[in-house]
Amino acid sequence: MLKEFKTLVPYLRRYRWRYALGLLCLVAVDAAQLLLPQYLRRAVDSIAAGGPVRAIVMIGLSMALTAGAIASGRFLWRFFIHGASRRIETALRDRLFARLMTLPTSYFHGNSAGDIMARATNDMQAIRMATGMAFVAFVDGAFMSVAILAVMFVQNPGTTLLTIAPLPLITVLIVAFGRIVGKRFKRVQELYSEMSSVAQETLQGIRVVQSFVKEDEFARRFSVANDGYKKASMGLVKVNGLFFPLISFLAGLTTLVLVVAGGAAVIENRMTPGSLAAMLAYLEMLIWPMLGAGFTVNMIQRGAASLKRVNEVLDTEAEPRFAQGAAGAEARPEGGVSFRGLSLSYPGARAPALDGITIDLPAGKTLGVLGKVGSGKSSLCKTLARIVEPPRGAVLWGGVDVGSYPLEELRSAIGFVPQDSFLFSASIRENVLFSDPDLPEERFERAVAISALDRDKRLFSHGWDTVVGERGLTLSGGQKQRVAIARAVVRDPELLVLDDALSAVDTETEESIIEALIADRAGKTTIIVSNRVSTLRRADIVAVLDSGRLSQLGAPASLAAADGFYAEIAALQALSAEPVTGGEGR
Amino acid sequence: MPDFFDADDIVKSYDGTIVRRIFSYVKPYRRLLAVATLTLALSTAGELVLPVLVQRTVDDALVVSWASVAADSLADPRLAGLDIPGDAPRAGGRAFVRESGLASLTQPDKRSLEADGILDPGPYYLCAKGSPGDLPEAVARDLGADGGPRLVDGWLIAPSAYARALSPGDAKSLRAADRLVVAGYGWALLAVLVVVLLSTFGQAWTTSLIGQNVMKDLRMDLFRRTSGQSLAFLSKQPVGRLVTRLTGDVETINEFFTSVVVSFIKDASVMAGALVVLLAMSPRLGLIAIATLPPVLAATGVSRRKARDAFRRQRTWLSKVNAFLAEHIAGIAVVKLFGRERASADEFAARDAELMRANLGEMYVFAVFRPLIEFFSSVSVAIVLWFGAGLHGKGLISLGALIAFVNLIRMFYSPLQDISEKYTILQSAMAGGERVFKLLDADERVPDEPRSSLSRPVKGRIEFDRVWFAYKGDDWVIRDLSFAVEPGETVAIVGYTGAGKSTVGSLLARLWDPQRGEIRLDGVPIRELPLSELRSSIRPVMQDVFLFSGTVAGNIDLGLGLGRPEVERAAKAVMAHGFIESLDGGYDAPLGEGAATLSSGQRQLLSFARVVAHDPAIVVLDEATSSVDTETERLLQGGLSALMRGRTTVAIAHRLSTIRHADRILVLADGRLVETGDHDSLIAEGGIYYNLYRLQYQGEATTAP
Repeated sequence: MLKEFKTLVPYLRRYRWRYALGLLCLVAVDAAQLLLPQYLRRAVDSIAAGGPVRAIVMIGLSMALTAGAIASGRFLWRFFIHGASRRIETALRDRLFARLMTLPTSYFHGNSAGDIMARATNDMQAIRMATGMAFVAFVDGAFMSVAILAVMFVQNPGTTLLTIAPLPLITVLIVAFGRIVGKRFKRVQELYSEMSSVAQETLQGIRVVQSFVKEDEFARRFSVANDGYKKASMGLVKVNGLFFPLISFLAGLTTLVLVVAGGAAVIENRMTPGSLAAMLAYLEMLIWPMLGAGFTVNMIQRGAASLKRVNEVLDTEAEPRFAQGAAGAEARPEGGVSFRGLSLSYPGARAPALDGITIDLPAGKTLGVLGKVGSGKSSLCKTLARIVEPPRGAVLWGGVDVGSYPLEELRSAIGFVPQDSFLFSASIRENVLFSDPDLPEERFERAVAISALDRDKRLFSHGWDTVVGERGLTLSGGQKQRVAIARAVVRDPELLVLDDALSAVDTETEESIIEALIADRAGKTTIIVSNRVSTLRRADIVAVLDSGRLSQLGAPASLAAADGFYAEIAALQALSAEPVTGGEGR
Repeated sequence: MPDFFDADDIVKSYDGTIVRRIFSYVKPYRRLLAVATLTLALSTAGELVLPVLVQRTVDDALVVSWASVAADSLADPRLAGLDIPGDAPRAGGRAFVRESGLASLTQPDKRSLEADGILDPGPYYLCAKGSPGDLPEAVARDLGADGGPRLVDGWLIAPSAYARALSPGDAKSLRAADRLVVAGYGWALLAVLVVVLLSTFGQAWTTSLIGQNVMKDLRMDLFRRTSGQSLAFLSKQPVGRLVTRLTGDVETINEFFTSVVVSFIKDASVMAGALVVLLAMSPRLGLIAIATLPPVLAATGVSRRKARDAFRRQRTWLSKVNAFLAEHIAGIAVVKLFGRERASADEFAARDAELMRANLGEMYVFAVFRPLIEFFSSVSVAIVLWFGAGLHGKGLISLGALIAFVNLIRMFYSPLQDISEKYTILQSAMAGGERVFKLLDADERVPDEPRSSLSRPVKGRIEFDRVWFAYKGDDWVIRDLSFAVEPGETVAIVGYTGAGKSTVGSLLARLWDPQRGEIRLDGVPIRELPLSELRSSIRPVMQDVFLFSGTVAGNIDLGLGLGRPEVERAAKAVMAHGFIESLDGGYDAPLGEGAATLSSGQRQLLSFARVVAHDPAIVVLDEATSSVDTETERLLQGGLSALMRGRTTVAIAHRLSTIRHADRILVLADGRLVETGDHDSLIAEGGIYYNLYRLQYQGEATTAP
């Protein structure tokens, strides 16, 4: 468990002064708190003995001053320790995020977004508790228990011994309860997620549910899960609801023992009434440190579990700059692109995604790619940017394996328009200038012109500064694709890859975009994945993929003349005003 | 998974309407509520009694101070306020009263009574002793000495100072009676502790039970309501958000119950109770204690506002950080493609720093407020001690009462310490409640106002009569569509993407209603039929088969309550029996989430069996086999013909084999019916169907291995 905390050592060291000062304040506050019952004792004794009111005033003033010191001390230790734990949480989360950004995309396929989010939120919270509250509870508990017990023993050893007899029971109780509560809590969580998944499943399959008139049946299922959750929750209440009353009861028992035993001592003149009052006050102070001891253990355990999950991310290997097994060299890729018998399988998949693809695309030429859904078009594109790592020697650029280029050089030489045209919730300008916000304005203007985005500018309430997504403007599929194209084109890249990036754009706009692209990219290499023959026709070479295999390769004119998928699609699209694939259909 | 994106509107102040609606769900649990209130009252009372008992112990048994008045002057008007019980100890012509009882006398009266020799304030220690033999040796020796004890009329009267100076052994034997009193109070304390333990647990149990029941009922209502909404409505709502409403948001309402309401009532009654006891014990000191309150109230008011602002800022930044995080996880490929790893990390750190600032801001509010309340409480204690000392000196308040005051003041202040935290819970409960009730109030159901019924058995004649339909506005998907399908007939609907084929099926099952025209089933307009009756007559088979988690058999019978033989018969009819038997567990084989263990053909066969088990008059095949490979199609073919046998079948955008054997083919273009006829006549016509067939289906037929 402790080895998980190693991650925290540099942070704890960075904030060691905060912790030291916080510790100092904490101990000072505790010590001052111990004074209060003493003042109370002196006040009560003085009053009992009929002492002068002036003495009481002095005591009252010291009490108020001490209370003031305690209040400031309390603020200060919170300032130092909570401040440190918040800063550690933030620094660790920054580090986690920075690490996440460098992880290979395969990591994000293997872990759900929700799980990754939880590591950056809930787990960070648990770690904060372990570095903040747990520390405080531990110091507070240890110091206060020892000090209070010492003071009480010095004042009245016999009575104290009797009085604190029930106290260890509290710690025992916390440990025992912790175990039962942990188990029941887990059960509650399980049933909670079971209930959620019944709801989720029903709503996902609502078409079936409504079509088969099964609303009642699924309401019954939900009701069962709902009941189960309620019962489990009440099972937890049974234990949890007893916990605090029982602690109070035990605390009350110590008071009872003190009143009876201490009462006898007062009667026998072995103790003054003031001492009794003070001891009652001390006793009350002792309960929370005892509780704190138990909670510290819980918080540290939870923190360790969370740290383990965070460490998993931090310890995951980042994307290598040069691919494994590749002879790395500091160079910027240029020239033609070739695929040499490229085969690729995703883990867990039965059939290979790509199977022996060989294509040669000379520098400055345009490759068109056609194929059904799942034929491997996107995988082919992704290997170029090493978003999917190809085998060595299978993907070459300028005659050099893509794995031999430094990752950042490789990717900055490519303008990639991914299929899903993912945009960030930022302004349109920020999205277009995503690769480099400092690009000159002419580049931006040219990019929005090429992608035919400029014709929509008047539709955006704040022009290029209109924020898209989440709570901003909702762009149509075609607009999104055009922003994504502008984002890639603005880099003026060596190689431009459009992965089915015009599917939601109407034919006429697509024509004009292709027209502008061809003019702009004269002499530069381009790959266009598309299902529209009108677009593919403009390519120098067209490759047709079928279930990961290259089924046709050649100039568009010759493919149109030959039998095959390309000719079929060409004929179909020539007849139909509406395209068979794509469009924003339902 | 918590909803990371709804944080912006999580802050809401108290809203009476929402609270009233939450409480309307409490109504069925009136009895539990009564028990909860009772136990709450009991535990609160018990907690208030505890310090009083401690005070009594101190006053009655530990610090025993008596004063005396001349027994013959009891009628003196100045003593009118003094309560002298009939059984008050009398000795030597004087009646003895507790020193604390003198608090009821006014200061001048006291002084003049003392001057007149009527009142002797003492203080004396008093106990019943018959003869010197009953006394400890040392006390017997001191009898009659100056400042020593006297034995009068069976009572030992000693100055308090003398009693306090006795050796432990002597004090112990002298004060045996007092020890009995202490023991008596000990038992009383124990009894009260037990009552508090039981009633606190009872209260926690009952309030949790109410909260859990309310949640359960609310969830059930919400679930029924939501699953009954129209698909038009549901398709616009992300499933994750709806699930969050059902789970997380309802949970915040429970928080409202178990944390806010209970602690509010409890805190309020503890504070009120403490005040009442304070005032009852000593009105003057009570008023002084109350006078220390205004700064506390002011601080509470300020902190509440500060806490709200800080909380708001914190939630805003939290949601910004979470949104950024979620977005960059979803768009990680784009970040990489454009080489923005470092820049994104920097941007994240900038947002995270803002979040930290907001978090620290909130921490400062609590870090100032909590110690401040503690401080006020200590100052209040000091002030009470100061004034209390004066009052005690004048004999106006007992020492025990003063100690009790200190405890009560602390008790009064402690609920104030976390009031800001509770206010925060209240706010998020209000926001959660608002979202829940908003969803509960949404009424987007398909209108179900049955006016007629189908005659049994359902024959399955379908008529579309000049139907127009648009999902929104004037964007017509179906235009003036008319056709009829006779019972038992198989009709195929074909056309290009977006021609409106699938919509025909949805209209038939009334997942949507057309804007114009009428659809009739067996001659009855489907709008006039009970929705459940309509939908049990028409069953769809969809391309994307949705299987629920559960067993294979459970997915076929979907809660119909069929016996195993019927389920098997349905499976056998569609040729699914073979593969089901081969599964590990057969019909009881569990299907996980998404049922990834089955092939798409097997999943489709299960959906066929599901339809056969439900035995509808009409089957709608909605692209059910359009994207399966040839091998799977062969597997499905047998099942499909069993499925269609004896039923009216509408096959939408199907594979060639099904379409070619259809009795009739309807060709849609732009939502209009453009061609109709059987396969051969349409091919001969050479229109759209001919082109579709030649390019799409013929290609499919020739490329098939």
